[in-house]
Amino acid sequence: MSDTRTPPPVPVPPVTGPGSPRDVPPAPGSSPIDPTTLPGPIRDELQAPDPVAIDTASAELKDGVNRCPKCGSTDIRPKAGTDLLVCLYCRNEWNSARVEEAFGLGVGIDQLHGTVMASGARDIAADAASLMTFKCSACGAEVTINTANAMTARCHWCRHVLGVNEQIANGAVPDAVLPFHIKKDDAVARIRQFVDKRRLFALKEFKEQFTPENVAGVYLPYMIVDANVSAAVAGKGEIKTREYTRGSDNDKKTYYDADVYQVDRQVDFTVDDLPLESSTERGNLDTKVNTNNIINTILPFDTKNAVNWNASYLSGFSSEKRNSNVANLQPRLEDELLSIARSQVEDSVRRYDRGVRWEQEQIDVIGTRWMSMYLPVWLYSYHQPGRNGGMLHYIAVNGRTGETMGSVPVQQWKLLMTAITVGTFLEAIALWIVGHSS
Amino acid sequence: MSDDGGLWLLAAGPAGATALYWALYRYYRNTDKSHAFERETAIEAKPVTGSETKVDEVTGTRETRIKGDNVRNYRDRVNRVSS
Repeated sequence: MSDTRTPPPVPVPPVTGPGSPRDVPPAPGSSPIDPTTLPGPIRDELQAPDPVAIDTASAELKDGVNRCPKCGSTDIRPKAGTDLLVCLYCRNEWNSARVEEAFGLGVGIDQLHGTVMASGARDIAADAASLMTFKCSACGAEVTINTANAMTARCHWCRHVLGVNEQIANGAVPDAVLPFHIKKDDAVARIRQFVDKRRLFALKEFKEQFTPENVAGVYLPYMIVDANVSAAVAGKGEIKTREYTRGSDNDKKTYYDADVYQVDRQVDFTVDDLPLESSTERGNLDTKVNTNNIINTILPFDTKNAVNWNASYLSGFSSEKRNSNVANLQPRLEDELLSIARSQVEDSVRRYDRGVRWEQEQIDVIGTRWMSMYLPVWLYSYHQPGRNGGMLHYIAVNGRTGETMGSVPVQQWKLLMTAITVGTFLEAIALWIVGHSS
Repeated sequence: MSDDGGLWLLAAGPAGATALYWALYRYYRNTDKSHAFERETAIEAKPVTGSETKVDEVTGTRETRIKGDNVRNYRDRVNRVSS
């Protein structure tokens, strides 16, 4: 900590002085001069809102009423197994635009500089509440939607369906949504198949209460990141030069000689559509206290097919609100990028046949592009009582690819007994061999 | 069979029991699974560049691998240097 009474440090040459890149940058939106003291035109320019890099808000849906483009009805449902929306009144079918093409997200990753955020990935306002009240534009009644777990509601007076479409400050509205393709029956069958392969040592209560029909379709919040990265690693590698044995018949030992090298590697790469959990609770993958790693395992999704946000895609499903901002996810992103860098350089150190010990690593994230997205997951859960509130076991099915992963609670005594029995049997054979050979 | 080999064999019981326990536990609970983003993400890498210089020699070691080999443990973070 610096002492405020000490005089300023030695005079610095102009290149590193105030206003140069060596200064700590000012807070965004702050100005050295109070804008109210400036003439009108300059003030307007200074105070005009910053452009959002990629604006994904749908202006036509702002009033909260999603109307069928053909008949104007609001009774709209996603058509199961497709990316289409269907009007329950006139059976008209249509879909939202794919964001990949609409906003050019698949291209130019190697040209990315700085942090580019889509409008749905902007920071969550600190005072934003989950509960939102809408004025129904059809009848004027006030309708409340709890955006923590739902994005649509029916007006209790005129039966219009209202959806949250405006990109509100609480982060509940993403840029894009990936509709469910796997139907519920299919998900139930996959979960049943998964558990059927794990019945022998499963907890008795779990088997008794197993009802995969209770599976719930949930839209979980993710940040989809494109990154342009330059990484470097350094360490020591060894190449074997000689292998020889010393000692007599019964006491033979193998020895090795090796050359030690200082190894440096650099790699520039781009990553397309890396998914990160943007809910802090889901992002915590501590297998001692939760089974969120199960939901993490069913990644990735075919995020290239995501469509522009329309709350009607969520009708009939629940959703979870995002609570992490881009800045919160940055360390996690850098960690994953470093892992990718290390896997990329592995092929280039194959000639070090005694392995490489990486000692230093460095990453320079040149540019990133962030999109907030709702991804579809079928989730079956079982709560196992125990210490510290027990454990919530998930079985998750990827709503697009059908990839299934789960955590089945085990009957500990049964598993232990089996292991000990097999161990005893092996030990008996070992004793028999030792007894007969000596 | 030598005495040495025979004594090694006695560890088969406890080792087998532990291995079976962990294998089954993991099969049920899948605690070792997570998203394999290193393989399952679309990555486009430019050719890897780098240098190497011989700095030392080791002679007469009984280890088959370098100490602290982490070439495959991508997710083990090492000393991070800032750019």
